[in-house]
Amino acid sequence: MRKRFTLLSCWLILILLSGSLAFGQTRRVTGRVTATQDGSTLPGVNVVVKGTTIGVSTDSDGNYSINVPDDKNILTFSSIALISQDIPVNKRSVINVKMAEAVNELAQVVVTGYNSVQKKDITGSMVSVTSDKFKELPVTSFDQALQGQAAGVLVTQSSGTPGGGISVRVRGSTSISASNRPLFIVDGVPVEDGGLSSVGTGGQNDNAFALLNPNDIESIQILKDASAKAIYGSRAANGVVLITTKRGKNNEKTTITAEVQRGMTEIIRKPRLLNSTELLDLQREALVNAGQDPDKFGLIKGVTDAINTDWVDAVTRRGLYQQYQVSATGGNERTRFYLSGNYRDEQGVLIANSFQRMSGTLNLDHKANSKLSFGTNLTLARAMNKRVLGDNSLNGVYSGAVNSLPFFSPYNELGQLLVPGDPNYSQRNYNPVGEALFPRQNVISVKVLGGIYAEYELLDNLRFRSKASIDYNSVIDDDYFPTTTWAGGISEGVGGQGLGVYTASVAATFINTNTLTYSALFNEKHRLNVMLGHELINRTDRSSFVQGRLFTSDDFTYISSAGVVDQGSSSLANSGLLSFFGEARYDFKERYLFTLTSRYDGSSRFGRERRFGFFPSASAAWRISSEEFMKNFRDLSDLKLRASFGYTGNERIGNFQFLGTWGATTYSGSSGLGPSSVANPLLQWERTREANVGLDASFFNGRLTFSVDAYSNLTDKLLFAQPIPLTTGFGAVQGNIGKVSNKGAELSFSTINMDKGFRWSTDLNLSHNVNKVVELDTPEPLYRGYEASGATSTNIILPGQPLGTFWGLKFLGVDPATGDAIYEDKNQDGRITPDDAQVIGNAQAKLFGGMTNRLSWKGFDLSVFFQFSYGNKVLNLTKTSTVNTGASLDFNQSKDALKRWQKPGDITSIPRYEFENTYNNYHSSRFVEDGSYLRLKNVTFGYNVNKKWVNRIKVTSARVYVSATNIWTLTQYSGSDPEVSTLDGSTSAQGIELNTLPQVKTGMVGLSVTF
Amino acid sequence: MTRFLIYIFLLSILSLSSCKEVLEPPPRDLRIDDLVLKRAQDVPAVRVGLYSSFRAITQYTVVAGDFMSDYVRYNGTFGDYREFGTKQITTTNGDVSAMWGYIYNTVYVANFILERLPDLAGVQPAAKKQLLGEAHFLRGLANFYGANTYGDIPKVTTTDQVTNRNIPRAAKADILASVLEDFQYALTNLTTDQTEGAAYANQNTVRAALARYYLYQKNWVQAEQFASQVIDSKVYTLEPDFKTIVFNNFPKESIFEMGYTQNDANSPLLNNLLVTRREMIPSEQLIQALASAESKDRLATISFDATKQRGNDNGWTVRKYGTATDGNSNVVVFRLAEMYLIRAEARAQQGKLAGANGAVSDINVLRARAKAANVSATNQADILATVERERQYELAFEGHRWYDLVRTGRAQAVMSAFSPNWNARYERWPVPQTEIQRNPALKGAQNPGY
Repeated sequence: MRKRFTLLSCWLILILLSGSLAFGQTRRVTGRVTATQDGSTLPGVNVVVKGTTIGVSTDSDGNYSINVPDDKNILTFSSIALISQDIPVNKRSVINVKMAEAVNELAQVVVTGYNSVQKKDITGSMVSVTSDKFKELPVTSFDQALQGQAAGVLVTQSSGTPGGGISVRVRGSTSISASNRPLFIVDGVPVEDGGLSSVGTGGQNDNAFALLNPNDIESIQILKDASAKAIYGSRAANGVVLITTKRGKNNEKTTITAEVQRGMTEIIRKPRLLNSTELLDLQREALVNAGQDPDKFGLIKGVTDAINTDWVDAVTRRGLYQQYQVSATGGNERTRFYLSGNYRDEQGVLIANSFQRMSGTLNLDHKANSKLSFGTNLTLARAMNKRVLGDNSLNGVYSGAVNSLPFFSPYNELGQLLVPGDPNYSQRNYNPVGEALFPRQNVISVKVLGGIYAEYELLDNLRFRSKASIDYNSVIDDDYFPTTTWAGGISEGVGGQGLGVYTASVAATFINTNTLTYSALFNEKHRLNVMLGHELINRTDRSSFVQGRLFTSDDFTYISSAGVVDQGSSSLANSGLLSFFGEARYDFKERYLFTLTSRYDGSSRFGRERRFGFFPSASAAWRISSEEFMKNFRDLSDLKLRASFGYTGNERIGNFQFLGTWGATTYSGSSGLGPSSVANPLLQWERTREANVGLDASFFNGRLTFSVDAYSNLTDKLLFAQPIPLTTGFGAVQGNIGKVSNKGAELSFSTINMDKGFRWSTDLNLSHNVNKVVELDTPEPLYRGYEASGATSTNIILPGQPLGTFWGLKFLGVDPATGDAIYEDKNQDGRITPDDAQVIGNAQAKLFGGMTNRLSWKGFDLSVFFQFSYGNKVLNLTKTSTVNTGASLDFNQSKDALKRWQKPGDITSIPRYEFENTYNNYHSSRFVEDGSYLRLKNVTFGYNVNKKWVNRIKVTSARVYVSATNIWTLTQYSGSDPEVSTLDGSTSAQGIELNTLPQVKTGMVGLSVTF
Repeated sequence: MTRFLIYIFLLSILSLSSCKEVLEPPPRDLRIDDLVLKRAQDVPAVRVGLYSSFRAITQYTVVAGDFMSDYVRYNGTFGDYREFGTKQITTTNGDVSAMWGYIYNTVYVANFILERLPDLAGVQPAAKKQLLGEAHFLRGLANFYGANTYGDIPKVTTTDQVTNRNIPRAAKADILASVLEDFQYALTNLTTDQTEGAAYANQNTVRAALARYYLYQKNWVQAEQFASQVIDSKVYTLEPDFKTIVFNNFPKESIFEMGYTQNDANSPLLNNLLVTRREMIPSEQLIQALASAESKDRLATISFDATKQRGNDNGWTVRKYGTATDGNSNVVVFRLAEMYLIRAEARAQQGKLAGANGAVSDINVLRARAKAANVSATNQADILATVERERQYELAFEGHRWYDLVRTGRAQAVMSAFSPNWNARYERWPVPQTEIQRNPALKGAQNPGY
């Protein structure tokens, strides 16, 4: 810690000392900036002396005043959404400027990591999503907002749980055992991603990003090719997502915006399950088919089906959704600020499930003098996530409801919930209503994301910037399962007197970044921008856990009241990254553009010999439209061809895996040391070689723009726990073996179809990615996913197949004569055994994308957003219990079971029901379905109240809108929702539905008022 | 400019000095290989590690010894146990691979100790001698289980990874010869001190192991001799009530017992399989045997719960393995009753049937404790059959039955009567499929029949 402060204080001293550099001779220039369209004044326009960092912004009346050094002659006027202009001063002292609205976004300045660039000068492949694309979507976290918005970015929400896990993949999956998540950077700080809670609730995780308020985000950049990403080197292989939060603008009148959103959520589609009578008939048939007497099993018509409980109804509800936000932004020529406070309360569609967040953000920038500026960004957030058990839990709430027999009731005659010990409490169903209402499963998370920076102009055009930040996440899991639940009441080994679990963990990342930037324009033709940097990242993970049982009573729910505190632990781990990086951009007349980027990264996760990795990239772009021979194509505004090549890496594995280690072990009450892993000093970075070509075109002054990209990426030195013979004393050694490739193409397209009073614009993006395991140097098949009846496992990793490949028997249909399932006897040995299992599909989509249409007319606007996925398969594992052909009578069955085979001659795809016959329920392609879907993701209709009316009540502007999400879905999928994944975050076993809560639809109204 | 360069230089120096701290954070709950057993303080810690590794094997000796036999029926959902229950063991069975792994894990720790400890300075000579003896003893016992479970197995004598990645099978006789060497080394080096109890090995523990070793070798004289030495040492006494054996850890007759406390991570296997999940429930054949008049009190090994009786579930549960808080989660390796049974068998084989030094009197010791009638058999064959039955009553679910049936040549007769799927190949476990795939020297070296 001491060294960090030394480092910090050093640059502070540096900045103070060099503050005395002298100024040259200057000329004062003043003027006013107005809009070309209506002559109104334009506040907040940046006026910069070109080739320097001297700059001011126009005030609320559009006026500016700037000192121009004598040796400089050009002023650059720029602002978001306006076309930038370079104007020669030519010894004038008053320069008035008219600026036109940028129809296209090419002039927009885009953050590219440690630097920024105008969108038109980008040589790599990146996509930008601005806040107006998602500000009226009721999303909990920004990753959810990316869905369908950017080509090459696949976002899948794993379930309909508020604050639940979301999978983001940029250009496919590169890794088998290291993480496939992109690197997420908020204002320069790599932030905690994935789940925060350390207590599993059956497949689904929570989402660390739910702590970041999407309304504070100005824009999101997704870096996709090596040229754009290599500056993040070792962590960039899965793509980089840069989030820029809102900041105040110079000379902007302080505006205060208040926003309210209120709405309702409900499950998009309920599973179609049998009622008591239908199920009773089915179960009796299954028993008769097995030669048993159904009456002996207590299945008696008129008695057993006297109760008919719809369990899904019993555990679901309409959830209330509300969000309130107040923000203020403003600034003068020296200080700018953005301040916001947000409160969000979202009830899950499952009873007792809810998510609440409070957050506050302050971004402050100050210019001390013409050379020195500094500022801070600070976000504080706290979330309270009340979770319920899910998915792959026998006693889960939704999973329990899907599986529970309708013969049982959640309540007794007195209307009280049935609990363990009650004679009518069913051990086959665990009363999901009680499992939802009785336990306490709270995750309380607090995030502090803050940083301070200072920037100093050392020499003309040479700027030094240093930033120190922290991302501090504190997570507490506070769980208690009372005696009225399965876990606390009847679970073996717990003792039937309650179960309490309490964990507390802290994940903190400290990061210090120092960059030097030099930019210059020579002979008005050669533009050069060079950046050198150094970064240090130090991560600390602390965690503790304690479990207690045998509580005094259910009134005492904390572990201080436990009779036995039988498990506990605490741990501390550090990891670090030390990096040097550089970027050089050069262009000739903005016509030929080149970028060289590289990063040299050292990671604590690798041994001394292989600690540092080098990740270079190069890219070039040719602005064809600037060539003489293109002069005649008047409708073409811009045409640019891009190509890039480079390397990126992945280091996201556990710590200390290169070391041979011994860990703590116990024996008979004594503690000691036992071997835990075998050394691999040669363990190194996973490396991805990436090549990309792209074309950007813009026609009719930006009314039609499109971008196409094609790429081919190959990941080698795959980080993988390589199996070794057990005779070594160990089963595996972390190694670098195998190759995975991703090849694909992307298209983004946007048009302004009409723009005369009535405006209609369309954005479309399409992505195609082919993922393939090229080489896997392991002697045995790698099974993943769930253990499967009759076929080893549900998933496999095989060379030549993509990650996410489903494995199982091939179901050929139902024999019309016998009603039994027919499987393909692959090895033709006359028997159906696990050896007949084969590849039966994969979860990778062939094509996915989104389309947004926006219409506006006189203050009214309508946006319609579709999102789709085509060609992906879903493994409907729910059906192994809900269409189980009689293998067990403990589960309710789907309406699909009504189509079962019943008599010879029946042509159907559902085998006959026979009690305890597992053959017909073997894991097979019967459970693999087409998961393609087209979804009307969002419709928003809004009205901006006429300013004349609102100005009378001292309101600058007001907007009301209604918005609905997940309104309609077109799919062949027979389950509730094709867009779910029970193993949240998994790559090799993605796209499996197992009693997973479907997405929710939301309807809400919103009001936004600016003062 | 110069000043600026100096700052940059200073900055770089500072950041480089923090480099080591950032890039080489200390592993806090791990110790790297090179530092283990380099200090005298490590000796007790590594000793615990050795026992901990060995302890894991003993869970699987129960899986092999009892689940392979006619004692159990499958009543669960796990595929591995369906294989044991229905006698259709495959080369990919997870437990077959787990036991193999734990055997070689123990061998690795033992070899590590044998390689490093002799040169380690500053260790009390007695402690060094004891740990070297224990490393030999537990390596020997691990290999003894390995050879009897899998037949020919690789003989691993070093920690060298390259050697051990490509190592062929050695003949079972070779392995057993090395086991004997290890036991003999242990016998001369281990302590005679009994104060650490049955959780740790001493000379009597080795004698008990040798008694079983010679019994398996059909060396009846030696088997009798070592069993007698243990019995006559008077260190161990029979519990008056058999229930103590079932429901308590460390009964007075325990010679070697693997201790579990509630902080032990991998303790629940047998409890989970037999009690929580009831993957395996007692077979009707065993229930009848334990409920017989000859067995009497030993019926406590299993219990009946009518509420569990449903469909194929007979409602019976094995009771020998509770949770750590129940106080009977330990796995017994050797106890005094087995010594009586070894001696009875060895004596019967030598024709010493009746009288104070005869087989019958040894069996009657156990019958008396179980409050059952004395043995009535008089001829050698009947007495040997009595020993076989007595081993069922006394040692059920302590990892003996399958090994006993195989060594006495009775496996085919008994098991074929029990299960239609039985096959002579099941007298040995297969070499785990993954080992054959990963270790080039094992290519094509599967046990016959698999």
